[in-house]
Amino acid sequence: MPQIEFKNVTKEYEPGFKALDDVSLCIEDGEFVFLVGPSGAGKSTLIKMLIREELPSEGEVLFNDVPIAGLPQRELPNLRRKIGVVFQDYKLLNSKNVFENVAVALEVVDSPDEVIKNVVPNVLSMVGLAEKMFNFPKQLSGGEKQRLSIARALAHEPDVLVADEPTGMIDPKSTEEVVEILERINSLGTTILMASHDQNIVNKLKKRVVRIEEGKIKSDKKGGRYYAQIVAKLLN
Amino acid sequence: MHKLWQSFLINIRREKLLVVVNLVIMTVTFFVLGMFLNIVTLSQTALRSLEEQAQLTVFFKDEFLEDQIMIMKAELETDERVMEVKYVSKEAAFRIFTEINKDQPVLLESISKNILPASLEVKSKELADLTGLVSELEGREGVEEVKFYRDVIERFIAWSNAVYVVGLILALLFIVVSYAIVVVTIRLTINSKGSELEVLKLVGASDKYVKAPLVFQGTFFGFVSAASSSVLLVLLSLGGISAGIMPSKVSFFFIPGAKLETSIYMIVLVLVLLLSGVLLGFIGSSVAIKKYLKY
Repeated sequence: MPQIEFKNVTKEYEPGFKALDDVSLCIEDGEFVFLVGPSGAGKSTLIKMLIREELPSEGEVLFNDVPIAGLPQRELPNLRRKIGVVFQDYKLLNSKNVFENVAVALEVVDSPDEVIKNVVPNVLSMVGLAEKMFNFPKQLSGGEKQRLSIARALAHEPDVLVADEPTGMIDPKSTEEVVEILERINSLGTTILMASHDQNIVNKLKKRVVRIEEGKIKSDKKGGRYYAQIVAKLLN
Repeated sequence: MHKLWQSFLINIRREKLLVVVNLVIMTVTFFVLGMFLNIVTLSQTALRSLEEQAQLTVFFKDEFLEDQIMIMKAELETDERVMEVKYVSKEAAFRIFTEINKDQPVLLESISKNILPASLEVKSKELADLTGLVSELEGREGVEEVKFYRDVIERFIAWSNAVYVVGLILALLFIVVSYAIVVVTIRLTINSKGSELEVLKLVGASDKYVKAPLVFQGTFFGFVSAASSSVLLVLLSLGGISAGIMPSKVSFFFIPGAKLETSIYMIVLVLVLLLSGVLLGFIGSSVAIKKYLKY
């Protein structure tokens, strides 16, 4: 049984415009999968469906064999606690400091204060932010913000970590740090699903690469490579 | 509850300006609402008190004896339209006349003790009943004349009715406007946190987790601003009482004949404002937050 399964998923935002068109995809427990493709290809839509920020127009999305669209509203928090999400624009809580931004992921699951006090510094150490525990997001660089976003996603030990273009807004050095952290998390058994159009990262890591274009899966290869459209055309 | 209070205090510390603006707007709104209700109540009290002054006077023929007048008085007192009947004998009428005209000795000399008629002064519960009573009494045996300032009373009734209706409409309108201002103020605070609420939902927060602190905050702000405006209104009313502007009893909103001690009226007003504050804070924040719970 795959951990994540997209079964003939179509998403139509308005009549005649399909963001996803009959997409089928299976992801096993512990895999590291890159979703690649140009902007507007449908990568983010696929991710939004996994955390039920969007619902499919047709088909179904299953997590551990449970159809996500059929989950009652009260079950949604449980699903989202199993899937950590890292956003391109970080989505940090600007009125809370670094410690509180991570703690919030534990507070929402009613973790006791003692657990929060132990777990948060550990997770922050893992992403190299232990020294900046009491800084506010506006005092952090882009790379640090993204690492904080990863720390928050990891705090409640999710089964899957979904990263939507996590390196899209940060410099190359920070990109390397973020990717290194994601690899380390994956090596500990967490499934990683990362949307990206950064060919350097994709080609360096040699993981499974699912290429989406115009809402359809064009290729799905283990140890695959990805070239931006213009390079791909030249190579062909 | 402890965590809720803690996060509420942290929130207040970090968003001082927004908190102050919120509280000031809501306090001013509740204060203006309270003042408006006070003005409506005082104007109703003034109108009612003027109504109570209106009366008709039945003058009797000399041959109609005091015993007969007293029978008519007793009969009128059982009439449910009548509030009060007062007998003024010929002697009492002369005494009053003398007192009023004590500076005009020539006039007093020309009037003998028996020339003034005995009379009954009749006050009705409702101003509008006076006209009916006049026509009934005019035909009665022994009645010389019924005096009644018809034009003045009728004009007063028309104005009084208009003031009741306009006052009631304005009061309802103002209550709705005040409620809208409070709800919008709370919405502004919640909307300013819109993206944060979205993030909380995306990291797995339950609806209750997202909702509880904001509903708590809205309810608390509603209560504090209603309480602050109540303190101001009570102080102002105490000043009004000591300056003799506020009467000792006031009409109870629009209920005819209902009167309350001013102190009890103030307690009712404060309770109404506090209840409005808490309910508006609760309902306003619960409604405003709804759109962020769909994520």
